[in-house]
Amino acid sequence: MPSGRRSVQRRSGRQAADRDRPVPWDIIYYKTPDGIAPALEFLDQCPGSLDAQFTAVLDSVAAAPPPQFSGGGKWEAMHGTMGGFYEIRLSGPRREQFRLYCLLENGTMEELAKRGLQRPAIAVITGMRKPWRTTFSEGDYRRVRELGTEHQQQHPRRIAT
Amino acid sequence: MDAVDVSLHERRRAQRMQDPEYRAAYERAARELAQTDAVIRELDLLRADLGISKAELARRVNRNASSVRRLFTASQARPELPLIVALADALGAEVRVVPRVAKERQPVRGPSGRRRVAATV
Repeated sequence: MPSGRRSVQRRSGRQAADRDRPVPWDIIYYKTPDGIAPALEFLDQCPGSLDAQFTAVLDSVAAAPPPQFSGGGKWEAMHGTMGGFYEIRLSGPRREQFRLYCLLENGTMEELAKRGLQRPAIAVITGMRKPWRTTFSEGDYRRVRELGTEHQQQHPRRIAT
Repeated sequence: MDAVDVSLHERRRAQRMQDPEYRAAYERAARELAQTDAVIRELDLLRADLGISKAELARRVNRNASSVRRLFTASQARPELPLIVALADALGAEVRVVPRVAKERQPVRGPSGRRRVAATV
């Protein structure tokens, strides 16, 4: 292939990536029926700089936004019974593991409006922590899913304000 | 239907950023994320520019197509450096660590003439 043609293709690919870059997503925090925001409680209890790191990941993902974000090494789509969730994975002191569980709020403007949203959003549902080299139980994950389901049943979304 | 108030995250961050330690940790994490994401995006753009599918790229580095696909989406939280380096090499590029102070005088190409996949944020 002539180098000129290749350079045109390269420019066009990058220009398309810039041109198609959408607006940042909002970040919202699920609130339970009794007014608790589990994710905010989790973040407030994180030791050291973990709250700042989680916030930085959320902001980076929201700015990307999610469908275009590679993950940056911290943001991961979950699979299996947790399919549909995304988790932010951080290590804390003594290698304790911290996870923040999120759902993506995306859809047509009409669908978003039904949820009370004006644009797509990352819904931060809850967080969990565990010692290094241990695993969460299926019951732990079930609790996360239940909160996520409860969040998705709300129209408009019930979120911390 | 009325829109819900989504401003809490912004307000919470602004309040916490007044703490210098919080701000420093936030900015450090943001830089790390941006660099990791920039390297992966650059590889994917390079791949697309060269008209190589993810499956073909995986074949060239003797990896499963799923491992390369996971790298370019949010399906892998811990990108492996050996895979990054192998992909860069297969795309005729190389990964470099560039000191931030030298960013201004960074040449476009390395001594070998290969494209660099580097992120200095």
